[in-house]
Amino acid sequence: MAWLASPPPTANTDASIAPDASAVPDASGALATPAPRTARHSGMHPASGRPMIEVRNLRKEYVMGAEHVIALDRISLDIARGQICCIYGESGSGKSTLLNQLAGMERPTRGGVRIGGIVVSRLDERELAEFRQKHIGFVFQSYNLLPGLNAVENVAMPLMFRGVPREEREARARAMLRRVGLGKRLNHYPSQMSGGQQQRVGIARAFVTRPQVVFADEPTGNLDSKTKVDIMDMIRDFARENGQTIVLVTHDEHMAAYADRIVTLLDGRIVHDTEQDE
Amino acid sequence: MRFSDLVHLCRQNLFRRKSRTILTVLGVVVGCCSIVTMVSLGSGIDEQNKQMLASMGDLTIITVTGANNTGGMGMADGSGTATARIDDKAVKDFRSLQYVAGATGHVTYLDAILTAGPANRYVDQNGVIEAIDMTQFDAMDYQLDSGRKPNRQGDVLAGQYTAYDFIDSLRPESDNFRMRPSYLADSCTPEQRAEGCEDKSDAQDPFFNILTTKITVGAAQTDDSGNVASSSTPTASNGQTAEGSGSGTQIQVSGLLKEDNGKGQATSSGLLMDIATLKDLVAKIHPDAAAGTLAYDSALVRVQDIDHVADVESQIRTMGFTTSSSRDMLDSLKEQTRSIQLILGGIGAVALLVAAIGIANTMVMSVTERVREIGIMKALGCTVHDIRAMFLVEAGAIGVIGGVIGCLVSALISLAINLIRYGGVSAEHLQWAILGNGTVDEAARISVIPWWLYVFAIAFATLISLISGFGPANKAVRVPALDAIKSNQ
Repeated sequence: MAWLASPPPTANTDASIAPDASAVPDASGALATPAPRTARHSGMHPASGRPMIEVRNLRKEYVMGAEHVIALDRISLDIARGQICCIYGESGSGKSTLLNQLAGMERPTRGGVRIGGIVVSRLDERELAEFRQKHIGFVFQSYNLLPGLNAVENVAMPLMFRGVPREEREARARAMLRRVGLGKRLNHYPSQMSGGQQQRVGIARAFVTRPQVVFADEPTGNLDSKTKVDIMDMIRDFARENGQTIVLVTHDEHMAAYADRIVTLLDGRIVHDTEQDE
Repeated sequence: MRFSDLVHLCRQNLFRRKSRTILTVLGVVVGCCSIVTMVSLGSGIDEQNKQMLASMGDLTIITVTGANNTGGMGMADGSGTATARIDDKAVKDFRSLQYVAGATGHVTYLDAILTAGPANRYVDQNGVIEAIDMTQFDAMDYQLDSGRKPNRQGDVLAGQYTAYDFIDSLRPESDNFRMRPSYLADSCTPEQRAEGCEDKSDAQDPFFNILTTKITVGAAQTDDSGNVASSSTPTASNGQTAEGSGSGTQIQVSGLLKEDNGKGQATSSGLLMDIATLKDLVAKIHPDAAAGTLAYDSALVRVQDIDHVADVESQIRTMGFTTSSSRDMLDSLKEQTRSIQLILGGIGAVALLVAAIGIANTMVMSVTERVREIGIMKALGCTVHDIRAMFLVEAGAIGVIGGVIGCLVSALISLAINLIRYGGVSAEHLQWAILGNGTVDEAARISVIPWWLYVFAIAFATLISLISGFGPANKAVRVPALDAIKSNQ
């Protein structure tokens, strides 16, 4: 429980801790052992049977002026290794907020997130950066390529942050771009590519480091329906190939259909959690 | 992240916003130029001062001229008494003061006529003879131009230009003298030449070599010497008179002194000898005059280094003597120079400050418009440390580039200023303008850039840039990844 205990529980959520924790029996044993403190000193534990992502009793409040807005409350969730999990909800349901907590982009008000055995909510700024370098990939709705870099440089960027030499990382980036079908546009700049092409560069960038978890935030939000299908196929195929875990955030039911599991959020709480076969 | 990647990214970012980068760099160039040029003008003043001081002779010499009985020198509170006299004892006292390298009594003898050459045709009517304690020759740091040092009893030295003081009494008056080269103009225009201008190319040696020609010292006829000597009366007869009277005595100069106005006129024009030698000489040419009249007119004290001149001088004043040295002038010169340099440096610094604000502005803009990029980088695992480094490298690069270009431009400006001062472009002027001209004191440069000024300017520009970039870099670090990424959805 050590990793959950950072903020003192209040009366409001006190009651919910015990049932939530005990509801995940396979994780509770592991939780008793001291959690690794940093991403630096510990790798993931690929062989262990524990879930890839563990969320416990997560709560996030925002202070907006005089008001407290509770964006997430009592979120507990386990996502298995290799699972494609869709977080589904209308806008304002808190799904983007949840993604941010999972990826360590924001600190939760209470509760904890553990990915591959590492307590994300406890890492400091530097450790988080390293954690993202090693274990996390991102696909964004608006592609978010750097306009000053060409396709190869954009894809190679996460490797650059890891200190991979230029030759090596650009070779890997080129290979990745060929796999997403952009072998002829290696030196194009984002402004010279269509939305679908840009998003393929984004996918190449997310997978080039072979991360354990890829977060995709409305990856098809800006695309036409045919391209949407291509992009989703691509993401799914990559994930299946390497047994990577995908957390897909969307409000598009068609996209949700690609997932193994759909977690539906409404007003900051999980209201449905269904597994589905393809 | 590797440093080479940081540099690569920085280059890309600077190129992407070419016009803004160029304008910011231009600001640094102007700032750097103004500070280098201003300081170079200050160094130019230093160089001019140095050459001027060098022409004034040894600055560590204090001349003690007599009793300080008026108290007008501000030392009246001391034990200064009217009885303080410059005698052997006083000189010995001076010599025992701390930091004093040497001291000697000094006698000036003016009642002599010097003649030389066949039939004594070369005459120096106003020959100056000075005498010191020759054992102090080295301690007083007298320098020789040629010949040998005085090491024997009776050795006589001549001033560097003594030979030029002799006129040839057998030539017509308009052409009976030879000018010291340093008195001649650098160059004369043909029109000036028509009016009698002579320049360095006209320089001629004196009529005789003073090191190989014996000089006859005779007594001046105090009644009519002024008239007789300067009149056109054939000096041959004058010389015969001197020989005839038997009062003339021949001496041989053994060495030529280097001119040093701090150590008496004899170093320039005149004869220098030991006091005992002078006494013998006077006894021969003026047997009727009492040898006892050769009292010290002053004493010369040489201080070990220039920093202690003031100290030693005030000690001598408390002993009751009047002194003079070049210290006062040196002090005021230094102070004046320093204030001019401060003003010049201040003007330059203001320009660099303006450039610094320009850099800060550019960096703030750069952060603001790259908020989203910074957010993406953070999300993809770029450390805060690397983001800060990225912006600092960018700011630093602007500083280094601006500094280097600024230094190059300053070098050209400085060259142009000096060439204008020398009055045109020629191989010789270029050499003077770049390397300086240590020998010709009229040709000191106006703008002098010492090598350290380039190093300093580049380092300073870089430092200022880094300081200006620091705030924006920290602002970039605080950009929340999320907001940034969402910012244009």
